[in-house]
Amino acid sequence: MSSCCETSPPKSLAADITVALAGNPNSGKTTVFNALTGMRQKVANYPGVTVEKKTGRCRLGGNRWANVIDLPGTYSLISRSPDEQVAMEVLRGLRADTPSPDVVIVVVDASNLQRNLYLVSQLIELGHPLVVALNMTDISERRGSFVSAEKLETALGVPVIPLIGHKKRGIDALKSAIDRARIAPLPQWPLPDPMREELMLVGGGLGILGVDKLNQFKPRAKAVGDAPGSSVPTGSLSSPTPANYLALAERLLIGDHASDLDEISRHEPVKSLLHSAASRLTALGIDPMQADIEAHYRWIDTVTQGVVTTNPQTAPVLDYAQPRTLTQKVDAVLVHKIWGLLIFALIMGTLFVSLFWAAQPIMNGLQNGVDWLGQITTKRLAEGPIKDLLVSGVFKGVGAVIVFVPQIALLFLFLSVLEDSGYLARAAFLMDRLLAKVGLHGKSFIPLLSSFACAIPGIMATRTIESRKDRLATILVAPFMSCSARLPVYTLLIGTFFASFGAMAQAGVMLSCYALGILAAAGTAFLFKRSFLKGAPTSFILELPTYKVPQLSQVWRAVWSNTRAFVTKAGTTIFCLSIVLWAMAYYPRLPGVDNGVRRDRQLIKDIAAMHQEGARVMIQVTSQFRGSDEWENVIDAKQRGAKAGEIESNSTLNLQEKIDQLFSLTNPLLKAFLEKHADQEIASEQLSHSIVGRLGHAMEPILKPLGFDWKMGVGLVGAFAAREVFVSTMGIVYSVGEVERNQTKKLADAMRQDRYADGRPVWTPLVAVSLLVWFVLAMQCMSTVAIVRRETGGWSWPIFMIVYMNGLAYVASLAVFQIGRHLLHA
Amino acid sequence: MQKACDVAGCNHCGPVETCALHKLGIGCHGTVVGVGGDQPLRRRLLEMGFCNGVEVEVVRRAPLGDPIEFRLRGYHLSLRADQAKHVTISQK
Repeated sequence: MSSCCETSPPKSLAADITVALAGNPNSGKTTVFNALTGMRQKVANYPGVTVEKKTGRCRLGGNRWANVIDLPGTYSLISRSPDEQVAMEVLRGLRADTPSPDVVIVVVDASNLQRNLYLVSQLIELGHPLVVALNMTDISERRGSFVSAEKLETALGVPVIPLIGHKKRGIDALKSAIDRARIAPLPQWPLPDPMREELMLVGGGLGILGVDKLNQFKPRAKAVGDAPGSSVPTGSLSSPTPANYLALAERLLIGDHASDLDEISRHEPVKSLLHSAASRLTALGIDPMQADIEAHYRWIDTVTQGVVTTNPQTAPVLDYAQPRTLTQKVDAVLVHKIWGLLIFALIMGTLFVSLFWAAQPIMNGLQNGVDWLGQITTKRLAEGPIKDLLVSGVFKGVGAVIVFVPQIALLFLFLSVLEDSGYLARAAFLMDRLLAKVGLHGKSFIPLLSSFACAIPGIMATRTIESRKDRLATILVAPFMSCSARLPVYTLLIGTFFASFGAMAQAGVMLSCYALGILAAAGTAFLFKRSFLKGAPTSFILELPTYKVPQLSQVWRAVWSNTRAFVTKAGTTIFCLSIVLWAMAYYPRLPGVDNGVRRDRQLIKDIAAMHQEGARVMIQVTSQFRGSDEWENVIDAKQRGAKAGEIESNSTLNLQEKIDQLFSLTNPLLKAFLEKHADQEIASEQLSHSIVGRLGHAMEPILKPLGFDWKMGVGLVGAFAAREVFVSTMGIVYSVGEVERNQTKKLADAMRQDRYADGRPVWTPLVAVSLLVWFVLAMQCMSTVAIVRRETGGWSWPIFMIVYMNGLAYVASLAVFQIGRHLLHA
Repeated sequence: MQKACDVAGCNHCGPVETCALHKLGIGCHGTVVGVGGDQPLRRRLLEMGFCNGVEVEVVRRAPLGDPIEFRLRGYHLSLRADQAKHVTISQK
């Protein structure tokens, strides 16, 4: 690729080499990656898949650098999970977005040597220059099994560097070993004889067919003498050797699905060649795939016999009556039938309380801080669209992003401690049965639990689920969990329309809302997992790794990188949507609203009404303030109100002068009250005039069968910013001004008094129930949409989510309202 | 091979020579003699080390009865009963 370019740009990294870091999950690969690259890391996504791509730079000494690619942790390179596919494609140089590595470092967990060597055996077949990083030698020694790095080096034929990753011991040796990386000699896998013969036959056949001309099939090894950095240009071939054909035959026969074999395996003569070989082997009772894996493991058995010495005094025996290792002792408590569940409940309770309550003051503080910043920075700006854009658009948008940061940081603090310690796998083990019933995974528990606080961290927490389909199913149902943003809506509706039914009834309705959400999640997950997300049966093979003490630096890194990724990736979407929503509520403007004409008119209207109707209007206007200290002053003003009429008749004065003259006669407090009243009326009119208001009006025919009127429609559109915004939108619609937390009495009264033209109440308990059902089920949170887009890597899943959740909400609310109406009338 | 069948819930460790892995009682162990199931599951089970001749031990069941924790090749792994039933164990 780069080797052919004569004129390389000055910033060329031609001297750098590309190092891929491979390894099993739980092998400590991330620790090694962090130790190698320090803070010089970049996290992105592989295009087209949701697999995270981590790259970093590592100084090898002098001026030489290595670009390190942290491959996804994999047990194998052949199975078809997206992670494994990406790892395999990078290693085979099949991804256009990632350079084929010059050297592969494979991290091997010394305390779990056999299974880790399986991946090594596959890497040997690939033929990259290899270095083995023998990690966690301390754990394996504590267990009384000593792995000799020297003997392993001799057995494999590649450098083996013992490491204690979390103590950074051996990292320098590993760096210098990169230069000594060697292509391992291909071992003779102890395959059964018939299989060996069939491989020869197939390999010979492939040679005769000349399959190397069919596609970009590459021979196993780059020439041994090749300097690191010079890669074989894709497409060109040195002529394949018999060994290459044999390796190709093996890959085809065992069912390797790598994309470089697509063309060959579709070729008819090859197909029949493979088919006849496979049927001959089956007749002998040999399954090529199984024979191959077992041959690899037999080879591993011979290798490990030579390199591991066990100390019989400390080595655990196969007798569980007496747990010997620390992990076994800890597990005896942590996954115990009673203690295990108690501790689990305690840990999950702490996690939930932190997300639900502990994060709340910080979130409020941050949001108030951003609001305050918006106020002071725009203080000198004149009222108008620019100022409103800044205050209600830009700063509110920033606030809408920042507000999630405490929860996300806390979540990843918990998650990384739980994952690094090894407890996360145990939590999944404990909870799997419960979730398996609806087709989910034990690891879905934490995401769903977190979603009761907020779906954003909940959906981010699904990253711990390896299986893509399980992860997607969890993402799709997580927003059904009643999040804390729904709570103000529930409280308003229940408090307003069920207060007369007693406290028990109110609690019952509230609990039903949560139950309905859980039920909807379970039902839809069940359906999805039985239809388009029908999962691979491999998805619950869960390793229970050795317990480890989490490293502070790792935890901090996880918190930092995930929070930063949220702000930069999902945050931008949330911010843009905030601006759009602001514009939709701001435009088009009412005529006269921006130059104050409408406000003056409204004041005059109020004053005229006051003149005509005297004290009645006064009382209506001021009843909101009844009971406040200012009430006495109002009474005082009311008594002088009659004089207002005299001023209105004096037509030589302009509006403003009239108002000033009026209020010079009356109490200035009354002026403030009237102005506030006028502002609230205008805000309501303006909202109704805006795109949001028009949408509310336009939606009324669709919403009517659910029992909603256009005002609720406006509320629903506004709630897209965040569900709790419904409450403040209703406050504006009902001209009661800002609705503060827990001060919804005015709004509740206005809602209860609201009537249709024919005198029927707009709100009834049934309407409230219908609206509650809507809020439980509907997908109407732009931040959730943004995070789903980010986590699934495209718009199709978030759009699907909006459609199915809102469809479900519509049908459910419709059923509730219509059935309820018939029952009530019957 | 020594019996470990005083453990409640294990009804296949006595005279039966081979049984499905998920039926093995807690504390019992045996040797893998066959791996079934569909291709992806078989591949994954084999890759995780469930090869013929490997000794597997049942460590415990989750509090709700499923999944089951096993120990093989010196490490611990959990499978759902639904997956473990595809592994055949010999007690001899």
